[in-house]
Amino acid sequence: MATSTAAAPADPSLPDRLRSEVDRAIQRHLKGLAFLGSPAPPVGLTPRTLLHRRGTLGLYHYHPTASEVYRVPILFVMATTNRAYIFDLAPGQSLVEFLLARGHDVYVMDWEAPSDAERALTLEDYTLDFIPDCVRRVQTDSGVDDVTVIGYCMGGILATIYAALHPGGPLKNLVCFTTPIDFSQMALWRTWGDERHFDVDRLVESVGNIQPDFIVGAFDLLRPAGLVAGKVRLWDNLWNDEYVKSYRMMDRWTAETLPLPGAYFRQVVKELLRRNALCEGSLRVGGKPVDLKRIKVPLLHVIAAHDHIVPPACAAPLVARAGSRDKEEVVLPGGHVSLVAGPNAIKRMWPKLDQWLERRST
Amino acid sequence: MVSSLIPDPLQMWRRAIATLEGSGNSLANDAMSSGEFAAALHQVANLSLGMQQTFEKVLGVYLKKLNLPSRKEIAELAAAVQRVEAKLDQLATSEARVPARPRPPRTRRPAEQVDAAVARPASAKRARQSSGGSRGKRTAKQV
Repeated sequence: MATSTAAAPADPSLPDRLRSEVDRAIQRHLKGLAFLGSPAPPVGLTPRTLLHRRGTLGLYHYHPTASEVYRVPILFVMATTNRAYIFDLAPGQSLVEFLLARGHDVYVMDWEAPSDAERALTLEDYTLDFIPDCVRRVQTDSGVDDVTVIGYCMGGILATIYAALHPGGPLKNLVCFTTPIDFSQMALWRTWGDERHFDVDRLVESVGNIQPDFIVGAFDLLRPAGLVAGKVRLWDNLWNDEYVKSYRMMDRWTAETLPLPGAYFRQVVKELLRRNALCEGSLRVGGKPVDLKRIKVPLLHVIAAHDHIVPPACAAPLVARAGSRDKEEVVLPGGHVSLVAGPNAIKRMWPKLDQWLERRST
Repeated sequence: MVSSLIPDPLQMWRRAIATLEGSGNSLANDAMSSGEFAAALHQVANLSLGMQQTFEKVLGVYLKKLNLPSRKEIAELAAAVQRVEAKLDQLATSEARVPARPRPPRTRRPAEQVDAAVARPASAKRARQSSGGSRGKRTAKQV
């Protein structure tokens, strides 16, 4: 076993520190101007082919890069509020690129903003139509019956409901990233969504689809000081190209939050947030009960220890209640997004995911 | 070391920002967890929504009189055009895909299984050798 003999970085002398800070201050001014004038860095550069588009749904296949791939393909299900390029931010910071290099065959369900005509989309449409349709297309395209489904956040809920409603297959493995199950642990949102104050029917009837400002505002309210602190940190790190690039990619991702179909939002508020129906076992989708015990396939749930949106206690019941014999919950340091797309993800989550998948993908 | 005795004001400032952020969030969360806050929040949101809808209604009437499309209608048109473009791209790609791009074989195995498969014939060979009269040469490791 290799042992590290590297010493801790030497404490810089005062003149060195001053020199470094003056240099950074100059760089801040120079790069600050460039920051204002330059476009956001490009994202989602890994080559892919659009296999299918239907309204808000797009199914993509990423071009394999390994000379030999695992038998079972992977289908990512993104949360309907966000673009799936969070899995493919930039070369070297892309989960998709990593999985391709490790010999996995990757498909992604990505979303466009729903049109006004799609305001009536519900959980039923996502879990009994879109996901099964994409699974069938992945089976046809890959020529393999088994499919591994990976869901992130609300995409994890859709994948979980799909798995519970299709215990007979063709799902081979289920992987969820930071997926909320017990909504009673989301204290603030439960208070804000209380029916005594919030008339969700009136909102949905008034606006149709829920606009991104509303969704981003609700997320921002969870950490109001984070907005200011984030800007201060950006200014402090303007000299650091890597920090600025990461910041801008994440900022772009947040700014490109998608509207939510009104009917789907209404269901999430009433069934999941208020009644906590998924956790309590009383959720019905398409008239069928959604029972987590009916999930029998191998299950991995990766939870972020410092997730302020989906706290670990909110995510934990998935593994506890699933009927799978082969199931594992992994809590890793990081936040809701840095779990999948930050430097910590590259070091911790991606290798863990690959290690878990490789033994179950043959 | 002289420098370690002199506090770094910028580091102190950075730590203060992190502390303030944590305290600010915690205070705000406490304040926002009350029913009164939720009621006030939704009152403001409803008021804002009502004003916005009234404004959009008035503007819609004006635009109709001027025979101009609204922003929403243009956005819908743009989305429809995008969908047509995507379909065209898809058709062009499928045309170009003939003959289909060769795909790698689905035969990959996890590294540990490959190692085990490589190790198996070697150990079998050793076993054959040892059963063929070389028993006296067996090492503890082989056993």
